[in-house]
Amino acid sequence: MAKLKISLSIILVIFSLGVFSQSAQWMVSSDNAKKPNPLEINPKNMAVGKNTFSKSCKACHGINADGKGRIQSPSLISETFQKQTDGVIFYKITTGKDKMPSFKAKLKEEEIWSVINYLRVLVNPSAVPPAVDVKLELSADDGQKSITAFVHSLDSTKQPIQDVDIHFYLKRDFGLMRIGEPANNTKADGKVTVNFPENIIGDLDGKVTVIAKVENNFLYNDTESAIGRKWGTALVSGDEKFNHRALWGGRDKSPLWLLFMANGIIFGVWAVIIYVIYNIFRIKKAGKIFIK
Amino acid sequence: MTDLYRKEEQVKKEQLQEIITDLTRPMNNTGKSFKIWIGFLLILICAGGIMYFRQLVNGLAVTDMRDIASWGLYISAFVFFVAVSLVGSLISAILTLSGIKWATPLTRIAEIVAVAGLFSALAIIVIDMGRPDRLLNIFVYGRLQSPIVWDIIVVNTYLVISLLLLYLPLIPDIALLRKNMGHKPKWQQKMYKILSLGWQGTQDQFKLLNLSITALMILIVPVALSIHTVTSWLFASTLRPGWDSTIFGPYFVAGAFMVGTAAVVIVMYFIRSQFKFKEYITDYHFNMMGKLLVLTSLLYLYFNINEYMVPAYKMKPLEGEHILGLFTGDFSLMFWLVQILGMILPIILMIFKPFRKAKPIMIISVFIVIGAFFKRFLIVVPTLLHTYLPVQNYPESYQHYNPTLAECTITAGSVAAVALVISLFIKLFPIIPIWETAHEKGISNETINN
Repeated sequence: MAKLKISLSIILVIFSLGVFSQSAQWMVSSDNAKKPNPLEINPKNMAVGKNTFSKSCKACHGINADGKGRIQSPSLISETFQKQTDGVIFYKITTGKDKMPSFKAKLKEEEIWSVINYLRVLVNPSAVPPAVDVKLELSADDGQKSITAFVHSLDSTKQPIQDVDIHFYLKRDFGLMRIGEPANNTKADGKVTVNFPENIIGDLDGKVTVIAKVENNFLYNDTESAIGRKWGTALVSGDEKFNHRALWGGRDKSPLWLLFMANGIIFGVWAVIIYVIYNIFRIKKAGKIFIK
Repeated sequence: MTDLYRKEEQVKKEQLQEIITDLTRPMNNTGKSFKIWIGFLLILICAGGIMYFRQLVNGLAVTDMRDIASWGLYISAFVFFVAVSLVGSLISAILTLSGIKWATPLTRIAEIVAVAGLFSALAIIVIDMGRPDRLLNIFVYGRLQSPIVWDIIVVNTYLVISLLLLYLPLIPDIALLRKNMGHKPKWQQKMYKILSLGWQGTQDQFKLLNLSITALMILIVPVALSIHTVTSWLFASTLRPGWDSTIFGPYFVAGAFMVGTAAVVIVMYFIRSQFKFKEYITDYHFNMMGKLLVLTSLLYLYFNINEYMVPAYKMKPLEGEHILGLFTGDFSLMFWLVQILGMILPIILMIFKPFRKAKPIMIISVFIVIGAFFKRFLIVVPTLLHTYLPVQNYPESYQHYNPTLAECTITAGSVAAVALVISLFIKLFPIIPIWETAHEKGISNETINN
C-alpha cells in the first residue's frame, strides 16, 4: 500500500510538472502580444466585462478570479498573470489551450477586451470611481402585460438616472429565468419597460413574480425589486394521479395488498416474539413456585 | 448398590465441575494479550469516534461521497455487516433444526457474531446520514411502499430475535454462573441473578424454554432470509445496470452465508488458541465448518456465474458498460482479486482435507472475509459512478470515488466494535454452552441442578 502511494504521488508530481511546463510554453507571437486594447476603462465597459466574466470565466476561475472555481485553474489576479500584456491575454482567450476553451466563436471581440479591462480593475479597484446607491421601483401595466422599472436617486428629489442596465427575471421553482432584452438601459426619464412573455405557468392562481435587478454595474451598487402579478397560466396539479392507492402514493395511500401483506408479516412475526417474551416471564414464575 | 450409585454420582459431579472450570476459564483468566487486544480495539473505536465527530461538525463533506457516488464505504460496510449477521440463523437454526449435532458448541459463537454484526450495521446506517437528527423522519414520514422502510423494520426484528436466541439458551448457563462466580464483582453477580430468572431447572421451565427456543429457531429462518433479501432490494428495486437483477436476493443470501461461516471460523480459531479449548472446539469442528464453507461458497459461485455470465453474454449497452468496467476497466484489479482470492481459490483449496485443518482454514477464511468486504464495495460503487443523464459543469473529481481517511477510520472503528462486542461477551458469559456440553457427556439435569 505504501509503495502504491509513493508511486502514485511520483506520478502525480510528474504529471503536474508536465502541466506547468506546458503552460510555460504557451508562445504568443510579438505581433499578437503588442495588439493594443481598443477599449477604455469606463463603467459601461466594466459592466460588459463583469457580465462576460460571470457568464464565461467564473465557473472555472472562481468568483474572485483566484483560480478556485469548480476546477483548479490559474489565478487571474496573480502577478504572473497580470504582468502579461493585454494583447497576450486577448490571444490566449481567443485561441484557448488544454482545458481552457477557445472563446473566438463564443464571445465578441469587445467582450473579450472588456473582460481584460475587468481583470485589470480587479487588482486595481481605484481605476473606476466608487459605486453609489440607487433606488429601483417597479410598476406593472395589466393591459399591456408589461413591467416598467424606474431608477432614481435616493434623495427626495428622485432624480431619474439614465443608462442603467436592468436585468429582469421571472421567479421559477428552482431559480430565476431571465426575460427582456440582453441589455435594458433606462431612458432619459430613468425608465425602461419589458413585455411579459407568453405561455408562462404561474402558481395555482396563475401568480408570477417578476424581479428586476441592478447588478454587475460599476456605477451603482446592486439592488433589486420584485412585483407579483396574476399574469401566468394557473398551474394544474397532477393530484388525481396521487389520489388513489398506488406504489407511488403517499404514506396514507399504500396499496391495500401491500398493507395487508406487510402488516400481516409484521404482525405474525412479532406475535411469536411477544409470545417468547411472555414465556420468559412464565419461566421466572415457574422458578418461584419451586422455591416455595 | 446405593454406594455404587453414589460413586457414579460423585464421578459425574467432578466431571461437571471440570467442564464448568474449563468453560469459564476465559471469564476468569484475563491475560496480558487480551488486555492489549481490547486496548487496540478501543483505540480504533476512539479514532473512528473522533473522525465521526468531525463528520458531525463538517457534514458528509469529510467523505468522498458526492452527487454521483452518494453511497460508498459506509453502505458497503452496512451490507457486509448484515451479511455476516446472517450466520446466526444458519448455524443456530438451520443446522440445529436439521438435527446436526456437531454445531452445538458453535451456536453461541454464531449468535454473538450475528448480534455484534447487527449493532454495527445499525450504527453505520446512522453514520451514513448527513443529518442523523432526521432519523426519526423515517418513522414519522416513512411510506410502507419504500424498501428502506422494510429494511429498517426487518433489521430491527432480526436483532430482537437474535438477542432472544442468544439469551434463551444462556439461561441455564447463567444459573450455573450464579452459583460458581462468587468471586466476581457485585454488579456482575447481580446481573447473573437477574438474567438467570430464578432458573431451577424444573421440568416446567425446561419445557417452556425448549418451546420458546424452537419457536424462535423456526421464526429466524424466514426473517434472516428476508433481512438480506430486503437489503438486496434496496439495490435491485432500481433500474440501474448492475443492480437491476432478479437474482439479487438469493445472490446476497448465498454470499452472506459464505462470509458469515468464514467469520465464525476465524472467531472459533482465536477462541480455541487463546483459551486452549482443543477439547471443545476440535479439528472435527473445523473440518465440518470447512465443508459447510465449501458448500456455501459453491452456492455463491453459482450465483456469481449467473449474475455476471448472463448480462455478459447479452451485452446490452448499459449493462455491458458496467460489466466491462468490472472485467477490464477501472475496477478490474479489485474485481479479479476478490473473485479469485476471495472465492475461487478458497473453494479449490478447501476441497482438500489438509486445508480444512484449524490454521489453514482460518487463513482462508480471512481471505474470504476481506474479499467479501470488497465484493460489497464492488456491488455498491461502480454502478453509482455511472451517470445516465447528461451532466455538465460538475467537477471532474465527482467521477471517482476514493474513500477518505475519515471514512476508512470510521469504518475500521465499526469493524473493531464488532470484535469488541464479541470479546466482552466472552469475558461475561461462557462462549461454549456449559449445560449442553455437560448434557452431551451424559450428565443428567439433576446433577447439574444440584
